[in-house]
Amino acid sequence: MKAFFDMHSTPNSADLLSTRLMLSLGILSAAIIAFQLALMQVLSIVQWHHFAYMVISVAMLGFGAAGTVLAFFRQHLLNHIRWWLPLLMISCGISMCLVMYLSQLSFIRFDSYMLFANYTHIGRLLLTYLLFFIPFLLGALAIGLMFDHYVVYIGKVYFANLCGSAVGGLLLLALLWFLFPNRLAAVISCLPVIAGIMIIPGKPQRTKTLRFFALLACIVSGFSIAFPPTLHLSQFKDLSKTLLLPEATLKMERTSPYGPIQAISSPVLRYAPGMSLAAEEAVSASTAMFINGDWLGAVAGYNKADTAFVLHNTSFDLPYKMAPKKTVLVLQAGTGLEVAHALSRNAANIVAIEPNAILIEALKHTLAADNDSLYFHPAVTVRKVEPRIFLLTDTAHYDLISLPMAGSFGGSAGLYALHQQYLLTKEAFLHMWPRLQPAGAISISAWMDYPVRHPLKLAATLAEVLEELNIKQPQQHVAAIRSWSTISFVITKTALTATAIQNIRQFCNQWQFDPVLLPGLQPEERARYHLLQDSSFFQYIDAIFSRDRNALYASYDFNIKPATDRRPYFAQFIRWKNLSHLAANFGNRSIPFFEIGYLLVVITLVQIAVVSFVLVLLPLFRRGWKGKHKGSVLLYFGGIGLGYMFVEMVFIQHLTFYFGQPVYAAAAVITALLLFSGAGSYMAGRFAQNKKAMMRIVMAIIVLLVIYAAVLMPLLQQTMQAVMPVKIGIVLLLTGPLAFCMGIPFPAALSWLARSAASEIPWAWGLNGCVSVISTALATIITVEAGSGLVLWLAALAYCMPLIVCSRWDQEAV
Amino acid sequence: MLSPAFYLGLFLLVAPWQENVYKTKREKMVSQQIERRGVKDPVVLKAMRTVNRHEFVPADQIKNAYEDRPLPIGYGQTISQPYIVAYMTEVIKPQSHFKVLEIGTGSGYQAAILSAIVKEVYTIEIVPELGRSATERLTSRYKNVQVKTADGYNGWKEHAPYDAIVVTAAAEHIPPPLIGQLKDGGKMVIPVGSSFLTQMLILVEKKNGSTTSRNLLPVAFVPLTRKKTE
Repeated sequence: MKAFFDMHSTPNSADLLSTRLMLSLGILSAAIIAFQLALMQVLSIVQWHHFAYMVISVAMLGFGAAGTVLAFFRQHLLNHIRWWLPLLMISCGISMCLVMYLSQLSFIRFDSYMLFANYTHIGRLLLTYLLFFIPFLLGALAIGLMFDHYVVYIGKVYFANLCGSAVGGLLLLALLWFLFPNRLAAVISCLPVIAGIMIIPGKPQRTKTLRFFALLACIVSGFSIAFPPTLHLSQFKDLSKTLLLPEATLKMERTSPYGPIQAISSPVLRYAPGMSLAAEEAVSASTAMFINGDWLGAVAGYNKADTAFVLHNTSFDLPYKMAPKKTVLVLQAGTGLEVAHALSRNAANIVAIEPNAILIEALKHTLAADNDSLYFHPAVTVRKVEPRIFLLTDTAHYDLISLPMAGSFGGSAGLYALHQQYLLTKEAFLHMWPRLQPAGAISISAWMDYPVRHPLKLAATLAEVLEELNIKQPQQHVAAIRSWSTISFVITKTALTATAIQNIRQFCNQWQFDPVLLPGLQPEERARYHLLQDSSFFQYIDAIFSRDRNALYASYDFNIKPATDRRPYFAQFIRWKNLSHLAANFGNRSIPFFEIGYLLVVITLVQIAVVSFVLVLLPLFRRGWKGKHKGSVLLYFGGIGLGYMFVEMVFIQHLTFYFGQPVYAAAAVITALLLFSGAGSYMAGRFAQNKKAMMRIVMAIIVLLVIYAAVLMPLLQQTMQAVMPVKIGIVLLLTGPLAFCMGIPFPAALSWLARSAASEIPWAWGLNGCVSVISTALATIITVEAGSGLVLWLAALAYCMPLIVCSRWDQEAV
Repeated sequence: MLSPAFYLGLFLLVAPWQENVYKTKREKMVSQQIERRGVKDPVVLKAMRTVNRHEFVPADQIKNAYEDRPLPIGYGQTISQPYIVAYMTEVIKPQSHFKVLEIGTGSGYQAAILSAIVKEVYTIEIVPELGRSATERLTSRYKNVQVKTADGYNGWKEHAPYDAIVVTAAAEHIPPPLIGQLKDGGKMVIPVGSSFLTQMLILVEKKNGSTTSRNLLPVAFVPLTRKKTE
């Protein structure tokens, strides 16, 4: 078999790596990353955000499979590279448009919920995988072909590839401000077409075909931009259901990197969570807002003359009934309902924190009539900032800090299990505490879900926070009341006063709520109006506020331990070891819906692992592995694939916390990692023939990862309040050296293999692709189960594998 | 070419056999999913044995009609698990003279079950498409059922008060007009939670002007905490 990378045949002058070729490669790479992020956005809207993992995996799979195709058809492709390269790039662009149309066809569209109700949707999901796989395969084939043909310049080629990818991340971020997601793919598709046109050869044969194909691609892209596909949202998404309501009217629609926001009004749209059964008046219609097709909140009018504000006869009114609240901090104000609530309770100074600028703008202007110009009220100050960042930078003190409701109505079947909720971690509450007045309080509510999870995790969080604050008698600082469907908690800085306790009792009697936690509470008071099946809920709550807390954590079927900044998954409850017990209780069919979000990641992992085996490794097995470095190739390329993706996933998670937004975090991480890795790869040639230098590089990666595992999160926590330029500098400092080093091993080893064992390169490529595919979902699962620190440790361990190989480099070289 | 008479003959041959298959499935559904879990009211069990559930599900779900789970019926809605339908019916203690209001007709299955037991059933569906198909299914065969496509929030004032109200769609608040249209001593049942899960049911009772709620666990309760040795 001829070598995959032929180092001995120096490219002739025509094959010299021109700037145009590098630029073309950069543009193609930018398009692939931008398309990957665009697909993530589209799937977040039509389904839910979990499919981000699927997209990352599918992209990686495309790269892995491209290696396999190259291994089989290398000679033919190389012989006609000047024809194939532009053709592949242009095809990649066309396919980006076409797969978007095809994926929205009624017989191909899948639905997350239907995966467990109608098994044909599993086939549709697989079909969608395969569709999305095509542009990545075509793009990766072009990239792989260039890697192969210009292997002498592997560092520069890899540099162009990584830098282009970095630009692609930023490009998409910019596009998200202007384009609705259904147009993104069409606009991005122009890039590979341009990249292809740039390198159409001047005269040789078959150029006419290429030019015709390029023209066709321009027409397809142009048509797609003018007539983008309609995105069909899952019928189970909140927006889909709301649009079915009579006279549902779209009042506003805007897009941003946060996702599209819509405001819908309907005369039958009403919102009054867990309203008292003693309430006699019908609730007025309100406007509802949605983000990515999911419920964001209701916009309620506030009018000083209107004394019956929608939340007055809900358990949410608890903090205002305890004592007057003059200064109120509303964290993650959303649609402003809690701000209006505070105004209706005569708060004199209300600070509303909301990071989404589009949302603030909509409430101030387009929807001003729906909320009675709430954000222009002299008592209200709106701040566009992340709540956690605000807490660290603010110096004021408040009578009340109000948090948004934990969980969503109906439980959403655990779709948000993998939402990183940094506002509901223990650390978040600890950061709120110093912002309270001496008599200040924090309030938060949750739905009484079934089986009960959210209220217990919330109670556990509050109990552990009070314990960490060295509050001697935590029960004296907590009040909780329950309606027929909601529970509201308040924790106070100083012990609850007799007046406050009396006020709470009066409030409960007036609106028929039951106190759950209150100093001096009698057992019979807990279920006067709303009877539960038994007293187990109260026993659990009492256990949480006692020394038995850990025993309850251990024995409860769901994970109710508080979320932390390292494991910020408040809505993640499933404990794998208890699945059989839950299945016995609720039936096998119910299990997926307890935590469909988490389950989807696991399913994605399994499916992608199988598909990558079939598409990447199986063909290679069939072709046979004749080299004598099997173990080394496996260890080396498997190790760097695993390690690199683990690091990327941890950085995305940590920087989501640091910057407050997943989209910005993903863009920052991908851009920084790729740019620095690109710089590293540019220098890779210097290390490729130097065993000691390579070992030093890999050891540096391991050492940095071990250090990061210990200090990364504390360092980010300490510097979160810094101004943006400083934060960006910190991120660059943190990612720069590490990413630079991580950019070296892959091209250096390819170069080494090309010299000594070229026949094993397809295996190296394929293994690297497969492991990268699996590691994206795997990193998430490990983070959920054991925290992000462990993922970094495992990444360090993964890089030990290439270190071992490097140490044996001389002996193995042919 | 085979004549139409052949197909007619084949249909006449297969139809009774198919009906028997469904009857057997219904029997099995009642004995294994409903009776075994504690639903005892004979009138409820009889209704569950009588009403053809497979006629209330979309064509692609007919094969699953008698399975122990909710099924999608389109428009983001589901037909409840058979046991939940039986349980919700039993909970309101239906009597033959009852006038029952249902909010959320959906497929119409719950209304059909109620119609086999009580005197009058009024059912309201907000999604026009579902309302239309339920009307077609119900009005021809279930004469004591009246279907209206409207917002169920305000109930159906013309026929109020009701002995019982069955709310089949989970709601984040219970509309005060519905409580107002409930007779003193009347019962309202309402599900809470994801429609794909076995749901928690809330029973709302109105007595002497006071309204209280009671959580009803629809499954045989097994504690969620266990000893370590388990």
